[in-house]
Amino acid sequence: MPTLLRIGVSETVAYRGEFLIWMLTTTMPLVMLGLFTSVAKTGNFKEYSSADFVAYYLAILIVRNLTGSWVAWQISEEIRMGTMSMRLLRPIHPFTAIAAGHVAAIPFRAVISVPVAVILLVTSGAQSLTTDPLQLALLLPSLALSWLITFAFLFALGCLAFFVTKAMALMNLYFLLFSLLSGYLLPIPLLPHWLRVVSEYSPFRFMLSVPVELMTKAMSTTEALVLMAAQAGWAVATLGLALGLWRAGVKKFEAVGN
Amino acid sequence: MRYLRLIGVQLRISAASGMAYRSDFLLEGFGTIAWMFMTLLPLMVLFDGVEQLEGWDRGSALIVMAYFMGVRAVLVGLVSPSLTELTERIRTGAFDYVLLKPVDAQALISASRFEPWKFLELVGALVLVVYAFYSKGTVPGGGDVVLGAVLFVVGVVAMYALWIACAASAFWVVRLDNLQYLLSAIFDTARWPVQVFQGVWRAVFTFVIPVAVMTTYPAMALLGRLDAQTALATVGGSLALLVVSRIIWQIAIRNYTSASS
Amino acid sequence: MIRVQDLAKHFKVHKRPPGLVSAMRSLVRRTYETVKAVDGVSFTIERGERVGFLGPNGAGKTTTLKVLSGLLHPSTGTVDVEGFTPHKRETRFLEAITLVMGQKSQLIWDLPPAETYAMNRAIFDVPVAKFDQTLDELTQLLDLGPLLQKPTRQLSLGERMKCELAAALLHGPTTLFLDEPTIGLDVAMQVAVRDFVRDYNQRHESTVLLTSHYMDDVVELCPRIIVIDHGRIIHDGDLRGLIKQMDPDKRVSFTTTDTEPDFSKLGTVMKRDGQRFTLRVAEAEIPAVVGQLLGPLKVVDLAIEDPPLEDVLRDMFGKAKPP
Repeated sequence: MPTLLRIGVSETVAYRGEFLIWMLTTTMPLVMLGLFTSVAKTGNFKEYSSADFVAYYLAILIVRNLTGSWVAWQISEEIRMGTMSMRLLRPIHPFTAIAAGHVAAIPFRAVISVPVAVILLVTSGAQSLTTDPLQLALLLPSLALSWLITFAFLFALGCLAFFVTKAMALMNLYFLLFSLLSGYLLPIPLLPHWLRVVSEYSPFRFMLSVPVELMTKAMSTTEALVLMAAQAGWAVATLGLALGLWRAGVKKFEAVGN
Repeated sequence: MRYLRLIGVQLRISAASGMAYRSDFLLEGFGTIAWMFMTLLPLMVLFDGVEQLEGWDRGSALIVMAYFMGVRAVLVGLVSPSLTELTERIRTGAFDYVLLKPVDAQALISASRFEPWKFLELVGALVLVVYAFYSKGTVPGGGDVVLGAVLFVVGVVAMYALWIACAASAFWVVRLDNLQYLLSAIFDTARWPVQVFQGVWRAVFTFVIPVAVMTTYPAMALLGRLDAQTALATVGGSLALLVVSRIIWQIAIRNYTSASS
Repeated sequence: MIRVQDLAKHFKVHKRPPGLVSAMRSLVRRTYETVKAVDGVSFTIERGERVGFLGPNGAGKTTTLKVLSGLLHPSTGTVDVEGFTPHKRETRFLEAITLVMGQKSQLIWDLPPAETYAMNRAIFDVPVAKFDQTLDELTQLLDLGPLLQKPTRQLSLGERMKCELAAALLHGPTTLFLDEPTIGLDVAMQVAVRDFVRDYNQRHESTVLLTSHYMDDVVELCPRIIVIDHGRIIHDGDLRGLIKQMDPDKRVSFTTTDTEPDFSKLGTVMKRDGQRFTLRVAEAEIPAVVGQLLGPLKVVDLAIEDPPLEDVLRDMFGKAKPP
């Protein structure tokens, strides 16, 4: 396992250029930020002040940066190119192997997140951020669960490439739903009512919005704990989905060959 | 003549190609419709809370959005798939076969792939324009419609030039997809009137990566708000971009044929 | 008609040692190394000839073909193919030639070959009647009938190569450049491709320039062989001439019943396989040696042959060093 992590680190270093561009592409929150600060310049926009928007979108940027994943693209590509067969020959579960590579990239992504976090603290401070000790304590576990849900969900999505020849369309659809329902595009409370309901019962909210809510929203203790329990539940569910789809996919892979 | 027939054949082949994977094809269709909805959502939410923003009311902003969808339809339906195809061919070496054909390589590549479903967005864009004017309760003047249509083409040209220039870099750094993602992310800002962005951002979106030329100015033309000077600058800027991108492409090809092995 | 005069192609290769530090350094100052892929090559090929290009990997065969087909600019020297300068890639030139690369595909992956053909018809602006006629002919010669409507990705490697050849010939080129057209194919398919190329060349009097790893391709197909190594031509002529030039001695093979045979007096023993021997004997001594073998030594199954081409080439490429 340490070796896997080490290789993951050197891979990230080797592809640093692409990695940086990939990070830069998550500019959508910045655009929305620019938009809404200009909207809230003259007064609050539905309970959100200009500072609230700054805090919200910067927090989104940080969480997205730390928990985002490209594993679905990686897996479907490996299946398409036939390199997946190599993974099947190794005596380690691909979920673990690939996860190790992705965990190894987190420090580098954290490096990019730090300046954003500093800006967030300086500009927003206590005004729009939480000071509740419980919420702060829950933040780290919540981030870890967010990462796991995102990774497992995308892993499952990647496994669909075992069943459909080009899974690209599915991934575009995923990103669409994610943008809409996770709080990436708009804070969930600003969504139309029916979408807000869908969002609250979808895994997407737990991929991104929940840690941001912990950071920026005032919550009661029960509210925070219930949110965490739901997040843990989603983590178990997506993990099961990923491993199940993987097993079914491999069975088909072995039967048909590729 | 040769080129016309070629476009016909490529249209047919791309449609057939797209349908080779049926599940994908249907998903694409659904995705396109869902995407149009998603594009509109933030705007709806926004104008649910405010009357107007930097001089843009809901109806006018919808027109910018319609131009965005129109330009994007050409981008994701034609330009982007073709250029992805280009990277793929450079990587596999099949690009050599493109150079061996007696037609211009840029023309051949630029139309090498269509994604028929994506052109649904063009229809969506037209519907949106009609709806926007209906909700505003106004009718655009004839001259404005002509100028708006011309500037739509100009906007598409600017977008195309930007992407070609970016694609030419595929000859040096073979992984283009990331660069394309970056460009797409920036292009995404074109859905908003450029005036809503402040300071540096507005300058960047007007001059450096001219998303304003692609959507805001054409929309202003259709609304009858664009002065002649800006209109001319829009056309000129777009053509200049096209020329520059052609030069970059030719340098890239020359480089390719003198250095590859 | 192909005329090549003093052709050289040098590549500047950017050298960069691995590692982050050297990556940074190379941003500032790059070190280059010049690779002479082709280094002063001249030859003339008449219309209708079939010429084989032989040489080890990296000898400059593919580079030469790419220069001839206009994909690469020559560094120095002049190239003339059917009256055109290839790298200008004029329309009429591109209509007159074709290049088939065994390792690269121009067929559209997800669609049947027929679609690629339709596209090439549009690109080369071939009149419908002419196109139908050519396609019929190629379908017959290559036995494409059942393949035309199958998606390319479902074709076997050999089937795909046949379709690839047809795609490259639909516009009726008069000069064919074939770069490793039989690579990866099984023997039966190799023979089929070879027969097709010969047939096609004889029917249309087209010029064929072919490179191949497989000696058999070249030997079977090309009356004239150009051997290239380290970017230079080391032989240009027919097969016999090549063998004579490189290794004038004959090979004498026979089986003996002698329990303790010793043939070293007669010639160099090249090979021994049980009781079967192969000797290397100078041409002038053949009558004497054969007399000895058939007379006092009582051997059977005697055969006199030219040295095998593979051996000759191995020797040649082993010997030829860059100056």
